[in-house]
Amino acid sequence: MNIISRGGLAALLACSVASAPLAAVASDNRIVLTPGGPHPYFAPWEQAAADAAKDFGIAAVEYKVPSEWKLELQTELVESSAAQGYTAFGIFPGDAVGVNSVVGELKSNGIPSVALGGCAQDPTDMAFCMATDVYASAYLGTKSLIEAMGGKGAVVHLAGLLVDPNTTLRVQAVEKAVAETNGAVTLLQTVGDTDNQEQGDQKINALLAAQKDQIGGMIATGYISSVVAATALRNLGDKRIKFIGIDDDKIVLDGIRDGFVAGTMAQNPYGQGYIGAYALDLLAGGCTVKADAPFIQTPQTARFIDSGTLLISADNIDSYGDDLKKLTGELQASFKDKFLAC
Amino acid sequence: MTVQEPIAAPSSKWSLSGLLLRGSTQFGLLVILVVMWVVLSSIAPGFLSRFNLNSLGRSVAIDIVIGFAQMVVLATGGMNLAVGAIGICSVMAFGYLLQVLGLPIPVAIAATLLMGAAMGWLNGIAIVRTGVNSFVVTLASASLFSGAMLILTRAVPYNALPPAIGEFGKAAVGPVPALLIVAVAIGIALYVLFRHTVLGRELLAVGASERAAQMSGVPVGRTITIAHVLSGMLAAAAAMMLTARLAAAMPSVAGDDWLLPSFLAPVIGGTALAGGAVSVIGTVLGALLVSTIRSGLLILQVGNFWLPLFLGAFLLAAILLERYRALLVQRHRTRNA
Amino acid sequence: MNELFSRVIRVQWSGLLAVCILAVLALTIVSPNFLSEYNAFVFLRSLCVSLLVAYSQMVMLGVGQMNLSIGALGGLVAVIVGGLMDAWGVPTLPAIAIALAAGGVAGLVNGWLTVRTGINGFIVTLATGSAFAGINLGITKAIPFYNLPADFVAFGNGRLGPIPNLLIVPLIVSVLLVVFFSRTVTGRHMLAVGGNSHAAELSGLSPNKAIIEAHALSGLLAAAAGILAVAQLGSAQPSIGADWLIISFAAPIIGGASLAGGSISITGTLLAVVLIGLIQNAMVLLQVDPYWVTFLLGALILAAVWLNRYRAVRVGED
Repeated sequence: MNIISRGGLAALLACSVASAPLAAVASDNRIVLTPGGPHPYFAPWEQAAADAAKDFGIAAVEYKVPSEWKLELQTELVESSAAQGYTAFGIFPGDAVGVNSVVGELKSNGIPSVALGGCAQDPTDMAFCMATDVYASAYLGTKSLIEAMGGKGAVVHLAGLLVDPNTTLRVQAVEKAVAETNGAVTLLQTVGDTDNQEQGDQKINALLAAQKDQIGGMIATGYISSVVAATALRNLGDKRIKFIGIDDDKIVLDGIRDGFVAGTMAQNPYGQGYIGAYALDLLAGGCTVKADAPFIQTPQTARFIDSGTLLISADNIDSYGDDLKKLTGELQASFKDKFLAC
Repeated sequence: MTVQEPIAAPSSKWSLSGLLLRGSTQFGLLVILVVMWVVLSSIAPGFLSRFNLNSLGRSVAIDIVIGFAQMVVLATGGMNLAVGAIGICSVMAFGYLLQVLGLPIPVAIAATLLMGAAMGWLNGIAIVRTGVNSFVVTLASASLFSGAMLILTRAVPYNALPPAIGEFGKAAVGPVPALLIVAVAIGIALYVLFRHTVLGRELLAVGASERAAQMSGVPVGRTITIAHVLSGMLAAAAAMMLTARLAAAMPSVAGDDWLLPSFLAPVIGGTALAGGAVSVIGTVLGALLVSTIRSGLLILQVGNFWLPLFLGAFLLAAILLERYRALLVQRHRTRNA
Repeated sequence: MNELFSRVIRVQWSGLLAVCILAVLALTIVSPNFLSEYNAFVFLRSLCVSLLVAYSQMVMLGVGQMNLSIGALGGLVAVIVGGLMDAWGVPTLPAIAIALAAGGVAGLVNGWLTVRTGINGFIVTLATGSAFAGINLGITKAIPFYNLPADFVAFGNGRLGPIPNLLIVPLIVSVLLVVFFSRTVTGRHMLAVGGNSHAAELSGLSPNKAIIEAHALSGLLAAAAGILAVAQLGSAQPSIGADWLIISFAAPIIGGASLAGGSISITGTLLAVVLIGLIQNAMVLLQVDPYWVTFLLGALILAAVWLNRYRAVRVGED
């Protein structure tokens, strides 16, 4: 599969043009948004799908969830939807590399897809990827943590699934932010496979039990890891250890309000779903991705669009929702001109 | 308890009732499958589309071979919980051999099969030498194997494999995906093994009764080891088919995910968990049944989150139906006798 | 002294006990934090759910059957108890009672289907497990229930010195199970059926009845595990139970239960859960490279099992 990205893009352009007459009326498009499996992170996509269908007059935007986190089930879901005549797909890759084979097939049938929430690894036939940059988010999160710790101390990284290549990126990002302090901050330990309720609960609590006094700060880069760590700190009644989580689960937000959590890196799942559906409608309607669009280059892909990330802390906890909405609005308003040629 | 013993242990192999019963489970499953396909294709227009059949065929092919990997160990009355772990090790080894070492594809295939066989051999030797239950040994070795893979590869995927791999994954002869042909070829080889070779009969004899097999001169330890070697090779084969389907080698696609499918297909197909009876055709049909139900539910757009509920219910209904049919056949036969 | 030793070595689970004691000693020496009050609490708390899960499967192994739906059943009960308290505002105790009953009923369904249809219990519980998981996801759409009564959550986090409140439940259950299997007619019938179904039937016992009872008991235990998991985590997560399958088999079998049925060891199962917990705790305490954790876990389990087997061979039991 040595298609270099430009070749894939060129082929995509050709296909999109070919399918243009079919979808002359934009509202005929039927779009599927699918996460990698059931997870509370994606809950806003359902609303985003409904809003996008209404706001942009798309025939159907549906939120379809594979019943388990298995690439195989996602592939089956996408393929059977394509067989039923859906015309565009927004996909959170069940696996960054593995998803490419089904996306390639969609493309060869003239169906565009974009990666939402997480990227596919280049070379890929995804038109683009709109997500939080995992590397940047982990890096910024660690920077905020180091700031909250007053620039010195020992940090622990609570990482997600070890078989997930994104975990490797996050580990590197945390290491980089720590290294930039020239030894003032040290990385005490990286604990893997904590993005699961039961395993995470056990590992994080055991960690706190063993090294509570050495730990100055913790950064979690998984949704569940954040929830579990926030709960553990609250149970321990410890406000000395600074903690930065990820995503805005209620438990993490409550932790911020009560002072157990220093902050959390908010992502923009609603925006990903909403703008993703908008862009897919245009792509399926014959628009193409501009060759000179201002994409960001990441380790995973050359066609990355940042869906926005911001640090939620005690200062903006009540207003961050508006900030994200504003971000989404701005991104959507300029999206067509910036990234697409119609 | 079990009515169907498609390929039974040698003792009952040639009896008339054995012969009649042999076809029954597979026949029943086949009837249910045909009915499902007729119903699904008439109410869901997308079901018979080339796109859907292609995708169904390829995922079934891999499930079938995963089922075979468990089936050969079930034949001896053991279990292999390390099927998935051997699978991920093989996926990554295959990727490494092709991408990093740049070996020619046939050499890489042979080396991966060999590695799968070696891991199976380790399982077999550990079981025979220590006398510890195969369940426990393979449970621990599954951790060992996948742990070793994580240490060596750090879970970084290989995604610049030779294009021929991905092309083979997509290839089809007429409407039949190439991967399905591979699965069927493996199935035929296994069928011959269990029906017409001494080794096949020895495997089943050990499964039926270890002690009796020992007394009649079957080398029990060696036979069990061979079953695990075979299982390892089949898991490696499934792993390479998966690599071809995804055109990349990554560690997150096998492992624990293979555990239930590996049991599901053979057991639905009439392979006894207690050992001594296997059905190659049944395993194929069992895998087809599960995939058909899942694909059918997706095509019918049965609500997202409720899908597992319907999957369970339909699976149960299908098996119940087959069971009921088998009972009727039996009753009919006793009345005639 | 020698006589005492030879008597000890004859006890089936003495090998496991020895390994556990060795592990505790080693950990105490290597990591001074191991015996700290808080770590002891964390360690003991991590055993609670696993113990009930292991017992739930152990009961099934006792009658020579398997239950693959334990995790799905526990997850379903977890969201039921969470949903009752959060969405319906049911007080804690009635909610727990209803959830336990639901687990028992689900177990009865498993048992009834297995016995009535004559389909292998493996397949039945695989299918019902899928069904339970479907109901779970259908109810929650993968979104947890958060607003649980304070007393319930406090119970899950509370402790007396190093002893977690939660530990009370598996301890009581352990004692009840010992009494059940050694003193009650029903319990002994189950093991008789598991040991030799045909012989049991000839002596007038009903294998079907024993299997249904075992499934109901297994369902109750899985339900208790689900409720405990909710109390421990402080929220009813739909993902509870997703990775119970392996531990549910590993602990009873390492503890000496036979897959063929009829032989189980409650103490052995308990020690096996403790051993696996110790290994996992040690991985974090000793700051093992995360990529090595899986490998070492496998190696240590294999070593422990082999040691126990070695002891059994020495004693001449099989």
